[in-house]
This record gives sequence, structure tokens and C-alpha cells, in this order.
Amino acid sequence: MVATGLLDHPFKEGYAARLGALPGAAHAWIDGLRQTARGILNASGLPGPKNEAWKFTPLGELSKIPFIPAATADDIDVREVPRGVPSIPGAQRVVLVNGVVNTALSDPLDALPGLRIESFKQLLVREPQTLKPFLGGIASSGALPLAALNAAYMADGLVIMTAKNFAGATLHIVSIGAAGAEPLAFHPRNIIALETGARLTVVETHIGLPGQSYLANPVTEISLADNASLRRYVSVAEDADAFHFATTSVALAAHSSFETFHLGLGGAKVRQEVRAALNGAGADCCMNGVYALTAKQHHDLTTVVEHHVPHGTSSQLVKGVVDGQSHGVFQGRIHVARDAQKTDARQLHKALFLSKGPEVDCKPELEIFADDVQCAHGAATGELDREHLFYLMARGLDRDTARALLVAGFLDEAVATISDENVRAVFSDMVNGWLKRRGV
Amino acid sequence: MALIDIKDLHVSVQGKDILKGISLSIEAGEVHAIMGPNGTGKSTLSNIIAGRDGYDIKSGSVTYDGQDLLAMEPDVRARAGVFLAFQYPVEIPGVSTSAFLKSAINTKRRAEGKPEIDAMEFLKLVKAKNKALGIPDDMIKRPLNVGFSGGEKKRAEVLQMTLLEPRFAVLDETDSGLDIDALKVVSDGVNALRGATRAFLVITHYQRLLNYIVPDHVHVMAGGRIVKSGGKDLAHELEAEGYAKYLAAA
Repeated sequence: MVATGLLDHPFKEGYAARLGALPGAAHAWIDGLRQTARGILNASGLPGPKNEAWKFTPLGELSKIPFIPAATADDIDVREVPRGVPSIPGAQRVVLVNGVVNTALSDPLDALPGLRIESFKQLLVREPQTLKPFLGGIASSGALPLAALNAAYMADGLVIMTAKNFAGATLHIVSIGAAGAEPLAFHPRNIIALETGARLTVVETHIGLPGQSYLANPVTEISLADNASLRRYVSVAEDADAFHFATTSVALAAHSSFETFHLGLGGAKVRQEVRAALNGAGADCCMNGVYALTAKQHHDLTTVVEHHVPHGTSSQLVKGVVDGQSHGVFQGRIHVARDAQKTDARQLHKALFLSKGPEVDCKPELEIFADDVQCAHGAATGELDREHLFYLMARGLDRDTARALLVAGFLDEAVATISDENVRAVFSDMVNGWLKRRGV
Repeated sequence: MALIDIKDLHVSVQGKDILKGISLSIEAGEVHAIMGPNGTGKSTLSNIIAGRDGYDIKSGSVTYDGQDLLAMEPDVRARAGVFLAFQYPVEIPGVSTSAFLKSAINTKRRAEGKPEIDAMEFLKLVKAKNKALGIPDDMIKRPLNVGFSGGEKKRAEVLQMTLLEPRFAVLDETDSGLDIDALKVVSDGVNALRGATRAFLVITHYQRLLNYIVPDHVHVMAGGRIVKSGGKDLAHELEAEGYAKYLAAA
């Protein structure tokens, strides 16, 4: 049940009519998913301040922007990958422009045996039954208003599937947002399914080109079979006027592991929502992240970890620095079901104020119904420690240098948890680049 | 001219008078020791010299190398050659010891108009100093002071002093938390720096440290004042007789 927002919004009949027939509409179950989602959208609207899950990130301002579907904008021509996109050593690159796979900018999609990379659109048309076990079943429209918006209009995206015991590869997904003369919206749907014992690393770079506002509303459904292991590292550096609301839902089978890191550096209003369901015993989930905000940026990292079965472990370390009049939000819910004995769940959020103007809201929620568990959560916000600053200055570092070292060190504690060495270096560079540009 | 000249220094913290007229003059080449019981203002004095805020300096002056030290920011003091080996070095998570040391060395080099140290030269230098101080090389890979034992923190302070080569160093109870072997190693490190252009102020409770770092002058501090000054033998007297008579006098 979606709490009612009843906000006016541009994603109604006119938007749908403009899109025309969507891929896969001929298949009743896909059409049904879309119809259900539109029903939810029509009944509930987009989340506003009265929706508890969205009270720190209400979407009222979307009603004022006449977004058109990205697919109908014919004045977009992106011929190269923006310079800000990092190079990930050894990674196979897949580029999406406004949520549509761009083969010209991508590496060949069929390069590795045991790894299948397809456009969501093509699979919808060609062999939708491949998607049926996952699509709409991991990220349900009923509980997630932005996933409902996505389901109503999903047209493309990426599907990544591995064979059993696939030994591992690194994919770099580059998502470029680019608006032309009018503000536009896109709703890519991604599916990542790892078979038993498979391993994969996915790096996602979400970046925008300057110009009109756009809304990126990706939904990613992830299925990890027994003993599968996925590392997913996401950075969001959208354009200053862009909106980015990403929903990721992960289903973990026994002894599977999911390591994710979310880096939020840009965009006008960003929400990264990650939901993990530990459905098999002994699954492990690690969700860490960093956000660094300035001006009037708004960044929301919302996590939900559901321990359904025994012997699951989950950990979260999230660090933020806020400057200007920015607004940081961290919401973290840990749910431990009655049967989930021997769960070990940890969560820590720390935010550092670089000036007096910003605001940070933190909402940890622990719902523990099992009695033999270890759960810990902590949250702290504050300014730089004066004792730390004095110590460094007493060694000759001027105030700015000392401050920069401390802020970088504060964030590096989280970045250092990235287990992939190459990605860790790239993300560290991105964080330090942000600090340098801000003159921190 | 004395390298450091403290004149009639009165300092209070939150309305409470801590230093009640300290005067102390230290020439280049000298080692002075201040001894005294807890709570007499020894650490306040060292913090004032290093430039920690939160103190109300009522009157008096501190002149360093002819300049008004109290008017200088802590980093300016450090670059001018003032060093405090902290009694309780803070732990700074996320900041690697080596990145910090390199930054500190290069800051000083820039201030002196010298070229920055390169990575190889830095590692070679730190390895050599580590060896002399009995510091394992992997300590500098760890976050600054985080999880260091009490003894490791004190050695790390002396390592920093050795790398930064200050002209005036204050050692605030550097001996506390050190076993006898570590005390010798740390003292050797300090003694290796002694020379005609450099001065030290050694603050301690115990005479033991002064067996290894032999001072030219010893001062007894009690009740916010220096109540007696003498040569190195004064330390032995104090060890035998205790501070009681000075406390009574203060």
C-alpha cells in the first residue's frame, strides 16, 4: 500500500500518449505490470511530505516541470562519453544515453562466455519469458512509488545474466543524462541475475550533460543465487539541475554476498534507495556509501535490510560531508524476522558539516523480532574535531591544508571499504577531486 | 638573546587562574626541565607555547626568536620551529600516518624555500629514523595514532620531532607510558637532536627521564608558579624529598 502523496505530476495520460506503444506490450503479463503500476501512480501520485518513507525527500517540485519522455526528444545527439567518466581498468563498458543502450559508445556486448548482456528492450520483445522470474517480482510497484513510475513507463535498460559459477568480470555501466530543448524523463529497468556460484563486479557511473533538467528514474532488480557474489559500485554525479531517483532491490539466496557502495556527488535532488532481502541462510550484505554535497543539493540514501533467515550478516557505513545550503538524508531500516536467529547487523552513519548552512536528517530504524542476534547502529553529526585540527596545525599544516586532510580522511574511512582495488582508487580520486574543486 | 623568553605569564581557564606569573628564559643549546605535581599548570604552559585555544592570557608575554609568539597561529609557530610533543596525542582515523608526515615535512620545506621531498627520499628518511626509535615500518601505514599503544604514540611524537627538526621543542610528559627500554630509545632520539642551535623544555613528574636527558636547568613548578630553580641536581633532591614542601609554600 503506497501512502498517498497525491501530488500533481507530469506523468499522466498525456505523457503515456506521447510514448505510444511500449516494447513488450503484446505480452499480457508485461502489459499487466504496466497497467497495475499506472493504477498505483494514478491513485497515489508521487510521494509528498506526508509519505513517511519520503518525508525528508518530498517530490513536490516535480509537478512544476513539464517532463517529456526521453524517447520522444529527437534533438539529443550524444557522440562521445563525457570527460568526467572514469576509466575502470579491465572493465567492459556499456553506455546508456537517457536510459537507452547506445551500442556505438559501448564495447561489444557479447565478449565473454558465460556472461550475457542484453538490452532490456530487446529481451522484452524477443524472449520476455527470460525476464519473468525477476521483473517486478524483486522490486514491487506496490510498495515503492518510484518503482511504480518506472514500471508504468519502462522501455529499456540492461539485463545482465551469468552462467553458473561464472568466474568473474568487471562491467562498467555509464549512464548519461542529456536533455535537449525540453526537460525529459527516463525510466530504465535493469536486471542483474547471478546464477549459483557466479561472481561479478558492476561499476555504474551516472553522469549528466549540462542543459535542461532531466529525471533519471532507474530501477534495478538483482537476484543472487546460492553462493553468488556481486560487487556493485555506483557513483552519481548528475548535472546540477537533474533529478535522480534510483531504486535497487536485491534478493539474496543462501551464502550469497552483495557488496555495494554508493557515492553521491551531484544532482539537484538525488535519492538512492537500496533494499536487500536476505532470503537464504548465511547471506552477507554490505552497503556502504559517501555523499558530498554543496549549494542547494539534496541527497537521500535510503537502505532497507531484511533478515528473513538465520545466520545472515549485514553492515553499513555511510559518511557524508555537507556544505552550502545542502540537505543530506540517511534512512536505514534493519528488519530481523523472528526466524532470523544469529543475525549480525550493523549500521553507522556520520555526517560532517563544513559550514553552518546545511541540514542533515538521519533516521535509523531497527525492527528486531528474533532474540539471539547482534545488532548495532550509530549516528553522529558534527563539525571537524578542533583537537584534530590543532594537532595537525601544531605540526605546521595551515588551517586549509589541515582541514582538507581531515575531511578527506573522514570520507576515506568509508571509501577504503571498497574491496575492488581499482574501483577504490577511482572512487577515491572522485572524492578527492570533489574536495579540491570545493576548495576544502 | 634567549631563544624563548616567557615573562610574568598569567593565564586562566574558565575564570580559574592556572598560571600565576611564570617567567622562564631559555637560550639556544640549553635543555630545561620543569618538574612538579599534577595540576600545577605544566601542561597549560606547554599548550600556551604551542598555541592551543581556550585559554585566557591575562598578562605577560612569550617571545620566540625575537617575535611575539602569542600573536602567531599554531601552524605559523610550528613552521617557525616550535614543536610540542603531546602528552596525549589524538587519534585521527582516516588520515594515514605517512600522508600526514609527508605533508608536515613538505610544509616545513616550502616554508624554508626548499624543494619538496619525493616519495623515495621520504621512505628512506622515515625508515632510518624508525630504526633508530625502534618503530616498526608498517606503523606509518596505519591511521595517525589510531590503535597505537601509549608507548607507540610517544615514539611517534619523537619521530615527528626528529623529522621536523624544530629549534625549540617542548616534551610534555613524554616519559609517561614508557617502559625503561623505550625510555632509553626515546631519550637517545632527543639527545641526538641536542645542539648549539636548539633548545628543549622537558616537562615531567619523574626524575627518571632526566637520567637520560640530562638538563642544564631544572625548575620546580607548583601552584601555577616556578617556586625553585637550580641545576640538574635539583631533580635528584626532588626525587628524594618529594614535592610536599613546595606545595605547602605555593
